[in-house]
Amino acid sequence: MACMAIIMTGSMAAIEPKSIASREFKNLSVLPKNISAGELSKIMIDEFEDGLGVSCSFCHAENKETHRPDYASDQKPEKEIARAMMRMTIGVNKKYFNLRRPLIGEPSLAVTCETCHHGVPNPGQQVGQ
Amino acid sequence: MLCRIDQGIRLVDVNLWKGLRIMVFFAHYSFKTIVMATENTIITNDNDDGIDRAGFIKCMAWAGTGILWMMNGGVLKSYGMSQLIDKTTGQLKQHVMVPPADFSFVQISDSHIGFNKAANTDVLGTLRAAISKINTMPSKPSFVLHTGDLTHLAQAEEFDLLEQSLKSVQTEKIFYVPGEHDVLNNNSKEFLGRYGKETKGDGWYSFDFKGVHFIGLVNVLNTSEGGLGFLGNEQLSWLQKDLEPLSASTPVVVFAHIPLWAVYPQWGWATRDSEQALSLLKRFGSVTVLNGHIHQTMQKTEGNITFHTAASTAFPQPAPGAAPAPGPMKVPAERLRAVLGLTNIEYREHQHTLAVTDAPLSESNTQ
Repeated sequence: MACMAIIMTGSMAAIEPKSIASREFKNLSVLPKNISAGELSKIMIDEFEDGLGVSCSFCHAENKETHRPDYASDQKPEKEIARAMMRMTIGVNKKYFNLRRPLIGEPSLAVTCETCHHGVPNPGQQVGQ
Repeated sequence: MLCRIDQGIRLVDVNLWKGLRIMVFFAHYSFKTIVMATENTIITNDNDDGIDRAGFIKCMAWAGTGILWMMNGGVLKSYGMSQLIDKTTGQLKQHVMVPPADFSFVQISDSHIGFNKAANTDVLGTLRAAISKINTMPSKPSFVLHTGDLTHLAQAEEFDLLEQSLKSVQTEKIFYVPGEHDVLNNNSKEFLGRYGKETKGDGWYSFDFKGVHFIGLVNVLNTSEGGLGFLGNEQLSWLQKDLEPLSASTPVVVFAHIPLWAVYPQWGWATRDSEQALSLLKRFGSVTVLNGHIHQTMQKTEGNITFHTAASTAFPQPAPGAAPAPGPMKVPAERLRAVLGLTNIEYREHQHTLAVTDAPLSESNTQ
């Protein structure tokens, strides 16, 4: 399993950018545009793949010609949902846990994707339910 | 215990522990006998096909450390191995006779260097333990195959750590294919920069060793809808050309990260266009396909093709369908190493052959 990279960013900083981004990512709208490849990969793997039990293609559309993930594409609605979920997570940590600058992927977060998802795409989709 | 198996042996695959698998090939397909003698029980197998249901259940009662795989006529047979291992030394017991082989090799998989979550906070330690296991084997393997996910996030420092550890493996060479975690950044640039120098296309290659043809495939770059692996037309065309000059009697071993058989497509545990590759292999009398990715050992035989998936050296995953989704599975700390080392299969009575079923590794762990 594994996801590769790219969703989100935006006005809302989700993780501290490194001084030198390993490459330029396209169409980030929640995560910082200059996020390092390592940090972006860590968020994709830890927060989304492991947190939701999904792979890259859950959010990222496939390029029909190359059959590779088109990370910049917004074709799949799940990608925009992921952005909304990150904004919500940041907001919850800020509003209810008084974190001044909550950052997606930071261990200091009180609430993460895993808090509700427990490794499944739909939080209601737990074992035995 | 005395376990006597008479076979025309071509391959012995010993999954010793912790995702460590030794495969012993016999270039001469003459009749051979292996006698495995341990302490107090007698397990006999009078079935020339390898093993019957009752015999297998008896073997499974003492299975736990691993399974001895024996291939005959393109059909894989398996025999429990746990009591063949001396638990105090971790090595084969002295009175166990392993048939002589022309060469052997080891498969390890899914080391995930860089992973540090609760499922295993010391993946480097468990990798080193696997290496130690390799180095204490009765005979030095000719080479090692790593079937992908060397690293967790494809970072240079993670590759460095892996390489430093693997330098201590007592073998001539280590072959790699990437897992999807190894190609997270820059479309496998880091991986190919280190291991792709003598490969074709996106990193696939083949080599021959003592009459056996080995093929390393890459099915993680184009992971498609549902996380399925994908080989692509370019690689399939290369595969066809690579196989063309081989005679049908050439033993073929294919290794790739994501399973080339449909272990559990709902979790992406399959390769979308693997049928095209497998169709090219149908004319060969003996084909073995080695994969990783699912962090548990399973095996299946379809005609002349035997499929194996290896356990991880890092952390286990749930059995197919046993959880809502795949992912690192936390087990009690005292059980972790044993779980990583377990070979987990079930017997399905089907013309005297073993078939893979969905069962979590931890359930059959007795260590």
